Amino acid sequence: MGIFTKDKPEAAAPDAARSSGDTAFFGAKLSIKGKVTGSGNLIVMGKLEGEVELAGELVVAPTAVLNGEIRAVTLAVSGNVTGTLTAREKIHLEKSAVVSGRMATPRISMVDGATFNGEIEMKKPADDTPSKRSDKK
Amino acid sequence: MAKDASSGTTSLVSRPVVVEGEISGEENLHVDGRVKGVIRLSGDLFVGASGVVEAEVDARSIVIQGAVTGKVLARHQLEVQPSGRFNGEATAASYEIRQGAVFEGVSRMLGSKSQAEKPASPKEPELKK
Repeated sequence: MGIFTKDKPEAAAPDAARSSGDTAFFGAKLSIKGKVTGSGNLIVMGKLEGEVELAGELVVAPTAVLNGEIRAVTLAVSGNVTGTLTAREKIHLEKSAVVSGRMATPRISMVDGATFNGEIEMKKPADDTPSKRSDKK
Repeated sequence: MAKDASSGTTSLVSRPVVVEGEISGEENLHVDGRVKGVIRLSGDLFVGASGVVEAEVDARSIVIQGAVTGKVLARHQLEVQPSGRFNGEATAASYEIRQGAVFEGVSRMLGSKSQAEKPASPKEPELKK
């Protein structure tokens, strides 16, 4: 895959995701309003408002602000999320995580210092995901 | 924000990912997946060979190796590489269309009198199907 910035190499920011090919990356200064679907992993460092339906791992970086309905296989949250978080396998909240809303996941872990206001529903994966599931493989 | 070279971070919509909606930011964006809607960047847009973009685009430079359909504004340069396919309305300060590229539509020079309304306002979601 060619890097089109011929003169300057990439800034030493964590956008080396490109090398793994399948990990999407939304940088700190990127703002998305809408729906993100697909497979593979996604790292969000910026703003995202809307829906995420990911057949993979979603990483919410400390600088990220997410708002809406978020579904993924696993969720690792270090940033700010408001809305509904649904994981097929597990959710992990880091110390800097601030989550408001509803989490539905079979497994949860929280580091001391994480902030969570809302509900947690822990069910087996089969009950977790209603009709909308688009697993693209 | 550095305007000469495309410095800054490059975000990536990887191949198995589809984004429908509005993407904006002070970043560069590399699309190997699909984007439908509006893209407004102060940086560059790079559409990889597997990328499909159906959107209204406003970016500094646009490099197309995949497929782009829509109304695009490249404030610096629009480049369509040999595997690239562009369909729509383009306005750019400069163009580079490589041999083998597909370019169907209208091309205008940025700043010329024939240029249609400038998509300057950030809230203009126009979906071209």
